[in-house]
Formats: sequence, C-alpha cells, structure tokens
Amino acid sequence: MFKRFDQARPFLTLGLVIAAWLVLPTVIKIFARASFFELTAPVSVAASYAHDLREYWSLRLHSNGELIEASRDLARLNASYDVAVQQNAETLAQLNRLEGILRLPAFPAHRSEHARVARRDFSGWWQQLVIRKGENFGIPVGAPVIFSGGVVGRVTEVRAYTSVVELISSPGVRLAAVVEGDTRTISYQGGVNPTFGSAVGIIEFVPLDIDASALHPKRLVTSSLSGIFPPGLTIGQAVKVDPSQDGLYKSGEVKLDERLGALTEVTVLIPLNPE
Amino acid sequence: MLRTFVVTLTTIVLWALVAQVNHALATTHVYLFVGGLCVTVAALTLPLRPGLAASFLGGLIFDAAAPVAFGTHAVLFATAHAVVFHLRDRLPRDETAGRVVIALLANLGLFLAFSFVQIPRSPAPAAIWPRLIADLVCSQIFLTLIAPWFFAFQQRALVLVRAEPVRLL
Repeated sequence: MFKRFDQARPFLTLGLVIAAWLVLPTVIKIFARASFFELTAPVSVAASYAHDLREYWSLRLHSNGELIEASRDLARLNASYDVAVQQNAETLAQLNRLEGILRLPAFPAHRSEHARVARRDFSGWWQQLVIRKGENFGIPVGAPVIFSGGVVGRVTEVRAYTSVVELISSPGVRLAAVVEGDTRTISYQGGVNPTFGSAVGIIEFVPLDIDASALHPKRLVTSSLSGIFPPGLTIGQAVKVDPSQDGLYKSGEVKLDERLGALTEVTVLIPLNPE
Repeated sequence: MLRTFVVTLTTIVLWALVAQVNHALATTHVYLFVGGLCVTVAALTLPLRPGLAASFLGGLIFDAAAPVAFGTHAVLFATAHAVVFHLRDRLPRDETAGRVVIALLANLGLFLAFSFVQIPRSPAPAAIWPRLIADLVCSQIFLTLIAPWFFAFQQRALVLVRAEPVRLL
C-alpha cells in the first residue's frame, strides 16, 4: 500500500501544484507575469544594444569614399522627400478644408514613436516583436505599429521600458480591410507562416466581383473601419480568392511582406486623442 | 531551495540563449523549442519538491514571454517533470546519452501538447502542421547539439554553490 502511494507521489504532488495554481488569485498571476517579464527583459534589451554596437563598429569600417557616395544618395532622397512633404501638407490642408465644408468627422491624429526591435518571435503558434520602448515613452496598449512596407501589428503588452507587438501574421490578429480602389470592407486574419516562405493571411467576406491571383495580385489596405489603424496602410497582396462554400462571398489568401521577419525598427502610432 | 534557485537561473540562461537564436532565425521562419531540456536534469537528479518547483518556475519564465495564458508552459513542464520523475529509476539517467534521449522525448511530448493547446487559435489548423513539424525537427536537432553542454552547465552550477544532488546507492 505504502509502495503504491510512493509511486503515485509525483502525480499527487503535481495535482496539488496545479490545484493551488488554479485557485491562486488573478491579481497575483498578473503580478507574477509582469515580474517574470521584467526579470528577463534586460537580457533581450542588452543583446539588442550589443547588436547595435556591433553594427556601429562594422559601419565605422566603411571607407570615406563609400560614406561620400551614401551621403550623396541620401541628399537626393532627402530632396525628393522634401517635395513629398510639401505635397502632403497641401493635401492635408485640402482634406481639412473639405472636412470643414462637409462637416465630416476627422480621422484620428497620431504621433509617431520610432522604436528598435529587441526580440523577434516567429513560431508557428504566434508571431510577435519586443520593442525597446514602453511606458517610459507613453506607448498605450492597442497602438498600431507600422513600417515602410505597411502594417506591422499592434501593441498587446506595455511594460516599463519594453512593449510587445503582435504581428499581423499572427492568428490572433483580425482587421477590417479593403482592396485598393474598392470601398467594400472585407475581413482579414493572420494565418499560416510556412518555413522559409512568406507569411500568409486569410481574407473572408470578399465580394464576388473581386478577383486576384498570383499573377495579378491586388493590394490589400486597412479600411477606415479598422479601428486603431489609419486607412490606406498596406497589409499585403491578395494572391488567391475562391468562392466560399455558401457562395455568397469569396475567401482567399494574402501574401504578407517578407521583411516582417527581419524588422529592426518600427514606428508606433500613438493616438493624440485616445477617446 | 538553493537547488531550485540555481536550476531556475540556468533555465533563464537557456531561455535567453534560445531567444537570441530564435531572433536570428526569424527571417527564415524557423522556431526552436527546448522545453524538454528545462525539466530533464531537475526530474532526473533532484528530489521531487525542489525539482518540481524548478520546472514550474522555468515554465513561468517561458510563459511570461509568450502570448498564452500565464501558467500554460508551467503546468506542461510540471506534468513532464512528474512523468520523468516517476520513470527515472527505470531510465539510464547517469549517462549523458541517456539524458539526451530523455530530453528529446520530453521535448517531443511538450511540443505536441503545446501545439494541441494552441492550434484552436489558428484559422487553418490543418495547414499549420507542416510548419510545426519543421520546427519540431529543427528543435530536436538543436536540442541534441546543446543538451550535453546544458547538462554540464547545470551540474557545474549546482557544484559551484555546493548544492549538487546526493546520489543514493
């Protein structure tokens, strides 16, 4: 009898541990999670700074000739951006005038906060980034995150000096989207991320007259109904749409930007009026 | 208590190293999971309570960095610990090769259990398996390569603080 009890001892202890964990108040679990996260955060952040330092020293090895060439290219790029900024200011002024005349509600304004990526997690179960800015820069939970290629994802956790960004390739992300040039809203959800391939999202409720294929992809952008995201940001390229089983809509696949897995810097859009 | 603390610290080191490898591998969409390695030494060499506590705390470290319900890894690690502990007298736990095989089997079990927990979140559950199998194969190869080092590291850390387990003959 004693021997049988001794054999079952590991499982009895396990049962007690699990039972104790289940009845533990949620407040303690939340506190424990934050503590464990902050305990490990300096490791990722320190490694990220070490990467930056290595990059800096490798850049220092470039010759003066290379730097002069890069500087010339940057000057040209800056000139074209200057023109774009002027055009943008004019467009914004026109938009404001039209909103005033038509009494349209203004799109939510944001301020941009650039942040370095400290850690990337690209598992088959989820995809997320840890960035090197958190409460210390006023980053709120739910803030949209973008890069030069379009949408990156949204902030899901904010800690003292880091934040966690769930990527749009992650199955937990859902967005309202539109095909470029169309106004009808469709549903986007993160999908499967194959090994050595581009991440793929899934679109549903696509109107029947919209077609897309790998040869003739359609650009998918955020809708004004996306909530947190400003409209018109690139999500990806719709490369496949097929009629759904009920025949009322189509569903398909969206190929996401390949650079999502190699991001080193992103921009967090912080709403100026959170309400 | 000291043994639990030391083994948990070594788990943090392992987590940090694997996180950096995963960071570098993100461009290829390969993800390494080495949960089995965190429970092996604790389950094979430590007494039940300090070992179980170390495995549970190791799981909480994994949980804190993952978008899952807090305690998911911890409960799975504790379950794997209890199973390995229950079988340890019948396993070749003194040789490194034997420990590596146990770590591989524990990792396989944990990976599959965790996948079944996470798969309902996916919009295409069947389509996700090729990716998961590729990750599993890479993880097992990586685990085989680093397991001897990690076992030695844990053993040395325990010796360093004079908390090495006493073997009963």
